[in-house]
Amino acid sequence: MAFINYVIHLAILIGIYSIVTFSLNLAVGFTGLLNLGHVGFFGIGAYVSALLAVQGVSLWISIPLGALAAMVMGIILAMPTTRLKGDYLALATLGFTFILGSVARNWTDVTRGALGIPGIPKIVKGNTEFLFVVVVLAVVSYLAMWYISRSRFGLTCEAIRDDELAAKMLGKNTFAHKALMLGFSALFAGFAGGLFAHYITFIDPSIFGINDLILMFSMLIVGGLASVKGSAIGTIVLFLIPEPLRFIGFPSSVLGPMREMIFALILLLILIYRPKGLFGKVDFS
Amino acid sequence: MSIATQLILNGIIAGAIYALVASGFSLIYGVTKFMHFAHGAVLATGAYLLYTFAVMAGLNFWLAVVLAIMVTSLFGAVMNWVVYKPLRKIKASSAVLLIASIALMTFINAAVLAIWGADVKTVPTVNPVFDALGARVTFIQVIIIVVSILLLLALWWLMKCTKLGKAMRAVADNKEVAQTVGINPEKIYTYTFIIGSFLAGVAGVLIGIEQNLYPQMGVSLVIKGFTGAVIGSLASIPGAVLGSFILGLVENIGIWWLPSGYKDAIAFVLLFIFLLFKPSGLLGKKVREA
Repeated sequence: MAFINYVIHLAILIGIYSIVTFSLNLAVGFTGLLNLGHVGFFGIGAYVSALLAVQGVSLWISIPLGALAAMVMGIILAMPTTRLKGDYLALATLGFTFILGSVARNWTDVTRGALGIPGIPKIVKGNTEFLFVVVVLAVVSYLAMWYISRSRFGLTCEAIRDDELAAKMLGKNTFAHKALMLGFSALFAGFAGGLFAHYITFIDPSIFGINDLILMFSMLIVGGLASVKGSAIGTIVLFLIPEPLRFIGFPSSVLGPMREMIFALILLLILIYRPKGLFGKVDFS
Repeated sequence: MSIATQLILNGIIAGAIYALVASGFSLIYGVTKFMHFAHGAVLATGAYLLYTFAVMAGLNFWLAVVLAIMVTSLFGAVMNWVVYKPLRKIKASSAVLLIASIALMTFINAAVLAIWGADVKTVPTVNPVFDALGARVTFIQVIIIVVSILLLLALWWLMKCTKLGKAMRAVADNKEVAQTVGINPEKIYTYTFIIGSFLAGVAGVLIGIEQNLYPQMGVSLVIKGFTGAVIGSLASIPGAVLGSFILGLVENIGIWWLPSGYKDAIAFVLLFIFLLFKPSGLLGKKVREA
């Protein structure tokens, strides 16, 4: 019985994080924006929804509001930053993540600082039912994001990634496309963040940490840039690989760091030996 | 009045440490053209090695300092060989190298956590306190300021007046042309990482003596270091040093008005403003394209 619960728990996390991976892919893979602020969007969705929900707001309202807050942040962040190129964009978005973490730690009146927010209501009580909800929501999110990426708008974003000047010459407003795509990317990241908060029932400022960023990028790059299938499979692979460690019997103080080391190692190996990942259509240029 | 002096002095001490981090970071950025975030993890390794040699192994303190700095310098070179060199070989873009360096940083941080544990460590030292112009300053803080000024002067001399420094500047300027006049860029990259990591090792040892050690210590310091570098100019070492002192002062004077928890946020906001409005920094001339 314990084993089944563990499998269900793992499946729920995979479901939530597969949304995160695809949403990161919208910005990084499909549009070519090296966005290191994704944990920030995930965290905003989690914090906004959790803070509203503990005040008694219905989850039907709090989770969408959290996602919308993330989207607004994404568009605001895009305004000044998308004209930056390559690693400067990466630096600025990383700085954005750190600012959010700092606010979460220090704005104690609202966020309770490092104490975090305990007692966040769950979407449904039982984990089996929760898994069902997550699977449905993940499928719906995938369809929506797949539609966005295949729409005229999404295809234009891909054209901008490949040749921004050419897209401009065709009369496309490349800035608006990039900003809106970063907004969509943030929307789904915030949505996943809300689901996460209402599953784990506790969040603290460490949600804005750099370790989660590495996990997200490992899942994305293992699966492959601009690949829908890759995002789902990358997530599953990354969640399953460190799990056998649990049964070897390492103490939990070593288990956590080992998981992080494995994620980082996988990311390094794939960057060196298979930069396109399993199903990638493009690589970083 | 003495509070103002104290805040300015604290700013200079913080600036001296940031300058050591930033100069190594911007040296490596200038020559290799990518952001080596794992620089912070190298620094943390230096501090933990000092703890290992001086406290756990009980070696003579000065021997422990020398060993920690030497091993840290080599560690930087090993990172270059194991991770960055293979990536350069497949002509990876600077974005890929940036992601790799963040992965490397989390890898080392997690390794530090697994090896030494999460609890805060201290290296016990004698640390008398002085009064200077109505402000409190400790012996170690004086050492920090003196050592970083001497090292930065030495680095400046190395870059301006030695053959190695000229070769490094040549590779930084134009790798292909440097190659045609007989400079081996890979060799220069190795030296660059050794020198940069040496500076990080010294910074790690100094911070290890002055403050407590914790596994994530390198992350916040490398952020401060590159913020200082961005303020001054990423690719110029004098710029990085200037920016670091500005950052140290602004942070410490800023907490006159803001709660001290916001010290880090001040740095990030400065970073953000400079990236958006003056990405080339105060001393940089042209904005780098893609």
